[in-house]
Amino acid sequence: MRVAVFGSGATGARISRQLTNSDGVESVEVHDPDPHRLRRILASLGPTAAAGDPRTVGVGVGVVVIATPSGTQAGIARRAVSEGAAVVATTDDLSETRSLLGLDEQARHLRVPVLVGAGYMPGFSCLLAHHAASELDGVDEVHVSKAGTGGPACARQHHRSLSSTALDWRDGRWTRRPGGSGRELCWFPDPVSGQDCYRASLPDALLLAPAFPGVDRVTARMAATRRDRITALLPMLIPPHVEGGVGAVRVEVRGRLGTERRVVVLGSRHSPAVAAATVAACAALHLHDYEVSPGARGLASIEYPGALLRSLAVRGLRPARFEGFTTFA
Amino acid sequence: MGAGLVPLIRRALTAVLVGMAIAAAVRVRVRGGVPPQTGGWRELRDDELLGADNPEDRS
Repeated sequence: MRVAVFGSGATGARISRQLTNSDGVESVEVHDPDPHRLRRILASLGPTAAAGDPRTVGVGVGVVVIATPSGTQAGIARRAVSEGAAVVATTDDLSETRSLLGLDEQARHLRVPVLVGAGYMPGFSCLLAHHAASELDGVDEVHVSKAGTGGPACARQHHRSLSSTALDWRDGRWTRRPGGSGRELCWFPDPVSGQDCYRASLPDALLLAPAFPGVDRVTARMAATRRDRITALLPMLIPPHVEGGVGAVRVEVRGRLGTERRVVVLGSRHSPAVAAATVAACAALHLHDYEVSPGARGLASIEYPGALLRSLAVRGLRPARFEGFTTFA
Repeated sequence: MGAGLVPLIRRALTAVLVGMAIAAAVRVRVRGGVPPQTGGWRELRDDELLGADNPEDRS
């Protein structure tokens, strides 16, 4: 399989590194508009990696993995689909996710899969939601939350999303709420632990609601401090860090098992950039190893999500379960 | 003005003392229950990751 990776930031560089070290990958074309950064990355990747032209997808490429800053991914995905390449997009931007899901008809027509939101959250969180739902007879509610950021582009997106409108799925319809509202104390795996989480412009509901037909509520929140909320309305005054620290995701699925109402809570803690890169690389390999049907969708809706979850566990991204309660009134 | 100030301070002090007495009584006499002593986060084992796929994929 030949793979093209767009972007070589904190996440993109790691995707390229993981793919060059994976069986079944013949070559990796790395695309980045910054020639200095591209040279530096290629020097560390080995002979199977080569520089690609950022204006083209590449001839004979089977899978295109996109890890560019949000707002630039939909255009690359559109070109890739039109050239017949499968797409793995790491976006966590709400409007861009909507644009990528809008490629569904074209992707079905050209018989290529487009995996949208293949990062830590969304991405790994979608797989956790699917796994939690597999323990239930029916799903009523899915609530996801995240803490931490990856590289600078991720930090900028975090800043923007807190001041933008959030989108929830409630009682069978989309509901818009102000970003930064709806504080909820969420308990993530240690050492992240308890964090105040708020609504934000996150794409998770767009990806999860179609995966669980009949679900009543799908909400997404992210951890933020008081300072984050106050400064969210301003431009970023301080340049973002090169690499975030430990982050976490938490997925709470409520539903029915027999006559009992149950709740399943799964989570994970990891560096968000490393975790997002692992998910994107494994998703690309999943497209090679399994027959994935054409169309644009999130990871909760793909075929054999358990196999993807297991390959992620092998690479160190292993889900955790919160134990202590299972039923609720 | 001075004559009205003393009863006001006396009433304020009385209110504070009564409030403290009620809070102390509630704290001493009411039992808040025991927080959970078990549970927490546990990593899933390999065999627990089998559930999400079709049966033919589990081999």
